Amino acid sequence: MDQLLAALDDSWRVLVLGIAIGAGLPTLFALGVKSLAWGLGGDVERHAAGEFPKPHLPGRIIAYTLFAIVILVAALGITYIVAHGQGWVITFDGIVPVFTPK
Amino acid sequence: MTPQIVLLVVVCATALAFDFTNGFHDTANAMAAAIATGALKPRAAVSLCASLDLIGALISVEVAITVTNQVIRIQNPDGSPIATLMDDGGMPLLLIVMAGLAGAIIWNILTWLFGLPSSSSHALFGGLIGATVASVGWDGVKWVGEGFHLDGVVGKVVLPALASPVIACIVATVGTRLVFALTSRITEVYRDRFFRRAQLGSASMLALSHGTNDAQKTMGVITLALIASGVWTDTAAIPLWVKLTCAVAIASGTFTGGWRIIRTMGKGLVEIAPPQGFCAESSSATVILISSQLGFALSTTHVATGSILGTGLGRPGATVRWATAGRMGMAWLITLPLSGAVGAVCWWVSHLIGGLAGGLTVFVLVVLSAGYMFLHSRREVVSHHNVTDEWS
Repeated sequence: MDQLLAALDDSWRVLVLGIAIGAGLPTLFALGVKSLAWGLGGDVERHAAGEFPKPHLPGRIIAYTLFAIVILVAALGITYIVAHGQGWVITFDGIVPVFTPK
Repeated sequence: MTPQIVLLVVVCATALAFDFTNGFHDTANAMAAAIATGALKPRAAVSLCASLDLIGALISVEVAITVTNQVIRIQNPDGSPIATLMDDGGMPLLLIVMAGLAGAIIWNILTWLFGLPSSSSHALFGGLIGATVASVGWDGVKWVGEGFHLDGVVGKVVLPALASPVIACIVATVGTRLVFALTSRITEVYRDRFFRRAQLGSASMLALSHGTNDAQKTMGVITLALIASGVWTDTAAIPLWVKLTCAVAIASGTFTGGWRIIRTMGKGLVEIAPPQGFCAESSSATVILISSQLGFALSTTHVATGSILGTGLGRPGATVRWATAGRMGMAWLITLPLSGAVGAVCWWVSHLIGGLAGGLTVFVLVVLSAGYMFLHSRREVVSHHNVTDEWS
């Protein structure tokens, strides 16, 4: 019974963090793609015939910022995998990862 | 050469063969979605996956000598084999390991033949559990961990296997739903181009993470056999040649592709579009990394399959082939008992014949059954040519 409770306890943590990061990243990326579409204008987004959507600079800025965040998180993920493999202990101070060699 | 040393060589070869099957069984976890969406050509995908697997296995310094302690009692807490299995130059322990590996390999090849993803770690544990029950008895198995520390068959195998597909499925469903809602007005060509690129990153992360985890288990098993034979004594380190050969074995397995499993995961469950592929991989990578951080060891195979199912549930109008999913679920349920049964039978065979001859007989059995299943697979070949054909 204790084992089941322990597994449930871990499961909901994985689920909550999983949704925040694992579903959050593609969502940010999709927002980035959407912003870039607005930022570039033209035929990227579906639009009524005869119209020509104008490009918007803010759209492009927002898009590249979002892409940068996604890349940053992915880089953190890779750093985590490598550090973990190297036997480092990774703890989190809030959301800031702290790497300590064993 | 003493019989023990000959058996040790055979055990090492069998362990490397298991590592190889572990590789081709798991290529799909990282690459199935990327291959299905055309983010990577099939050959490029397995090459990338194999390279990252190799790098992952080599950069990892984690010492997994005590890997069997999670489910059975053939080692002391420090990793040295228990004294009763050390009679006769470690022969009893070598035979348990040999039979366990045999069970795991046969199960891995059989599930590959049917194109079913199933966890290689569970197959290895199953084989070892079966061999241990046959030799030491039911008490030799750690069925349930103590208190709130997840351990034993229940805590390390059963509960994670139940939790992982569900968690991954929910995460991927949420991600996919949000992504399709946000990109509904963007033309498909444009949208897919971006998500294909993103998939390269997420698939690579999965492959690297696989390398740092899975090869370690075989390294641990080989080192245990070396210690039992007295060839190696340090329980805090793994010989360099073991590390190198295991890394190469798992990477070569990955490189051969395991196309049958890639096909089932990439085409058989859900039709995957690039946004779904990225959501599935992002969900898998995140769930695996978070659970490993919490010490709640989820199986990569179960997570990856759950994520792909989730992307089918999350996309409006998509169909999920539940019959295929059901077959997989069934395979997961019987992985432990069946690989265990093979492990137990192999142990009995080796025990009845006895000593080196017994171990060699099991080895021959493994080679024969692997050969038979391979020949059987040639009747309906799945390769990089037809891996992404329409599912029928």
